[in-house]
Amino acid sequence: MSALMAIGKTALYANYAALQTVGNNIANANTPGYSRQDAKLADATGQFTGSGFFGKGVSVTTIARSYDKYLTNQAVGSNAVAAGDAARFEKLSQLERVFPIGSSGVGYAAGEFLNSFVDLSNNPGDSSARQVVLSQARELASRFRAAGDRLSALQTGVTQDIKAAVGSVNSLARQVAELNSRISALKGNGQPPNQLLDQRDALIGEIASILSVTTIEADDGSVGVFIGGGQSLVLGATANTLKAAPDAYDPAKAKLTMSEGPIDRMVLGSSLAGGALAGLLKFQNEDLTAANNLLGQMASAVSGAVNRQQSLGLDLGAPAGAGAPIFSVGASRVLGAASNGGTAALTLTVTDASKLQASDYEMSFDGTGYTVTRLADRTPVPGSPFTPAQLATGVQLDGATLQLTGGTANNKDRFLLQPVATAARNMQSVLASTRGIAAAAPFTGSLDVDNTGTATIASLVAVGPAYNGALSADIAFTSATGNYNWSLSDGSSGTGTWTAGSPISLNGFELELAGVPRSGDRILIVPTVSVIANNGNALAFARLGSAGIVAPSGGSGTGAAPQSITDAYASALADIGVRVQGGKTAASISGAVATQSESARANRAGVNLDEEAAKLIQYQQSYQAAAKILQVAQSIFDTMLRAASS
Amino acid sequence: MRLSSSNTYGTALESLVDRQARLAGTQEQLTTGKRVNHASDDPAAAARSERALASERRTVANQRAVDASNNAMTLTESALGDAGGLLQSAREALVAAGNATYSDTERAGVANQLKGLREQLFSVANRTDGAGTYLFGGQGSAQAPFVDMPGGVQFQGTSGQVQAASGEALPLTMDGEATWMQARTGNGVFETRVVASNGGAVIDPGKVTDPSALTGSTYSLQFSVAAGATTYSVLKDGLPTPQTNLAFTPGQAIALDGMSATITGAPANGDVFELAPSTSALSVFGALDKAIADLQTPGRSNTRIAQDNAFALTRLDSVLGQMNAGRSQVGAVMNRVDAVADRLSALKLSSQTERSNAEDLDMTQAISDFSNQQTGYDAALKAYSMVQRLSLFNYLNA
Repeated sequence: MSALMAIGKTALYANYAALQTVGNNIANANTPGYSRQDAKLADATGQFTGSGFFGKGVSVTTIARSYDKYLTNQAVGSNAVAAGDAARFEKLSQLERVFPIGSSGVGYAAGEFLNSFVDLSNNPGDSSARQVVLSQARELASRFRAAGDRLSALQTGVTQDIKAAVGSVNSLARQVAELNSRISALKGNGQPPNQLLDQRDALIGEIASILSVTTIEADDGSVGVFIGGGQSLVLGATANTLKAAPDAYDPAKAKLTMSEGPIDRMVLGSSLAGGALAGLLKFQNEDLTAANNLLGQMASAVSGAVNRQQSLGLDLGAPAGAGAPIFSVGASRVLGAASNGGTAALTLTVTDASKLQASDYEMSFDGTGYTVTRLADRTPVPGSPFTPAQLATGVQLDGATLQLTGGTANNKDRFLLQPVATAARNMQSVLASTRGIAAAAPFTGSLDVDNTGTATIASLVAVGPAYNGALSADIAFTSATGNYNWSLSDGSSGTGTWTAGSPISLNGFELELAGVPRSGDRILIVPTVSVIANNGNALAFARLGSAGIVAPSGGSGTGAAPQSITDAYASALADIGVRVQGGKTAASISGAVATQSESARANRAGVNLDEEAAKLIQYQQSYQAAAKILQVAQSIFDTMLRAASS
Repeated sequence: MRLSSSNTYGTALESLVDRQARLAGTQEQLTTGKRVNHASDDPAAAARSERALASERRTVANQRAVDASNNAMTLTESALGDAGGLLQSAREALVAAGNATYSDTERAGVANQLKGLREQLFSVANRTDGAGTYLFGGQGSAQAPFVDMPGGVQFQGTSGQVQAASGEALPLTMDGEATWMQARTGNGVFETRVVASNGGAVIDPGKVTDPSALTGSTYSLQFSVAAGATTYSVLKDGLPTPQTNLAFTPGQAIALDGMSATITGAPANGDVFELAPSTSALSVFGALDKAIADLQTPGRSNTRIAQDNAFALTRLDSVLGQMNAGRSQVGAVMNRVDAVADRLSALKLSSQTERSNAEDLDMTQAISDFSNQQTGYDAALKAYSMVQRLSLFNYLNA
């Protein structure tokens, strides 16, 4: 009887424990990171009698956590990748707004600026047409500046995000270390501390969504957390500190370092498989840099081409002179690495804006030569490595000249060269007076009235600043096949042959003819007298709209033709668009993968309320049955007592 | 397979939100009417539309240039029409002045009439477009291009034409020097001149009989009258030729290397006439000035009056011809302006079409997509609310 009573009691306890577990499951059905728990029941060891083994009831061996290491790791890993892609995509879609399509873009403003020269050429002396040109120039410069500022703001945002994320990682890592020490302390009592384990898994999952990690479980129950290149973030009860340090070259940018004791070790962005930080670093180092350089290349190219054309025309000054620059862009930058020990002083100046590439360059000194690498396509520039002597006289890097002006570099010194990176955000329209616009060409050509051929002047433009604006020229054709004699007013003369489609070059100007001259025809080129009424240079400005002024990516070596500003903006727009599209696709794919693996993990570890409801009934009934056992045992006992008393 | 309730709710909710986002995306496309609202929607189409927009804007600017050219040419055409009318009046006055019965006073009256016409022509030549640009300024003139100076009117601009930035050679001004100052002298190929005339002989402007035989030399006809017989000798560039001492018949054409000129009346001994190649040096004002000076000269012989008048008419016809040539040139430009304007509006339309093709929305497709997505979203919401009601606990309560 007491045996039955004991069995009933164990059944009562066990089913109550099971009901308690089910209740806890229901209570935590929506708790993130909670793993479903099960009361594990076992029948108690039987008692041997002559009639065999009698069961002694049921016992609760443990409360087990429904947990699958493989599924959990997979969910954490794929969530890390998804978080990285999502972080990059979010920033990319902000970046995309810097390159809007249609009338709010930089390309449109550049087009309108050059189109305003069409109106100026209709009436070159009209001060309102000149005012429109200046207003469009200001608009163009301010659009470039606004776009550059937005890129800077994005960089600031990324740096702050990285710092905040690093702060979270460090706080989470400390909590993991603390949990590690509590878990290993509880290891001795033989039962798993389910709640602490769940908490630790959740924390590691949170870390991974910021910075992908690998975990290795130790014998004492603690978990080691390692990042990218195998550097330990948490080891046992100690956590190392992750730091967001300023970039070696550009303090506005951030990089990651890990403090291991007194040493700060660099964490390479490329070694991170996922996590928001990986996405942010990739955005900062690839997308933002590319956007900055694309924008800077366009700003430098437009400004260079416009200023050059301006210098080839005559303004309305008294006396009329070559036009002063319309735009100024920021100076090119040379950034020495913070670790440099040498004293080398370098200057980088743009010498031919139409050859500039949308790229930064990295230069390293190996003790004998300077190796310069173009970072956009990771190729060495022609002529690299350069000797210090070559560098002292100046070397060409895609339209910019790099010169060593003094000092010497130490071995392993490194420099970042940025010809165009700051051009857009520093672009200014510097011409204040409408009279400063050089709408007139320095030369005027006219055809002799007795010409019998069909030749007319298609264009007459100065092509280099080395022209002599005081000389007039006389070109007399001597044959029907284009032979001509030329003479300048300084007494020099010579002969040449004109062929259709190629210009006649003399005294720094180029004369293009339409039609065919005949023998005896003459063309007179005289210095422009009526500067206010001449529109020769305004026509040349208008032609810049379709001229190739932006170097093709990869430089002249690729054989590609230079692009017009419209094409350059359209390509930049498409480039950024493709990045955003790629980022979006990656985010949606990795998001789907993360959702799936999280579902797989949750389906194993999560709570199903229907299941719990069924179990609730099941254990309730068992509990009621167990109570019945006690009742029966009691009534048997009563029967016995009654029998004994009678 | 068991499902986690919380995860099931979460993923169901996520896919609802996802559907809602897609619906909102289609709605954005429908409200803006554009398929490409950001470069990432379709990078290639965005770049295409960007190029088409730039081409459209450039075309619009070029249209303004063509309009400017058209405007300038219209004004020039009307100025040339006025000038032609004035020259026609001058010609009529000159024809009247040739009337042999006119006295010197009457001719002086005609001269005054011509002076008035000359003043009017001068103001036409310096006419502006109303905004400070001289219609006949050539390639630029800040001040009036024609200046009346001692010795005649001079052109002080630069000859040639200012071109508009239309991508086509459309002028914004007319070459005033060519139109007003550079008509051909004589009959356009050669001019007849009187070097010495004391008799009653008058030479006509002559004509070209054989263009291939022209030499470009200056011929001089030297008359001698001896014993009642009039003979002439021809000198070519001052040198004697085989045509020496030929008998002269008044009214009979004298042929010289592809040219012929007719001398009527009786030349006196020692009279010299010249046939020289034409030059492009005849100005409208020069022709009038000469005619006025001649008409104001009193006491000329009848022969002289007839000769001067004939030459004056020849000159006037030549400048009138040059004016008309200019006018037809302007007409041709205006024709071309029409053609270019047509071409530009076609280009603008094609740019607009290109841009629309690249970035505009296919409305039918979008509306169909939208209603599809709406149905899908609606179904998802219904399914969610139905599944949500399914729980064993509901049955336990009952």
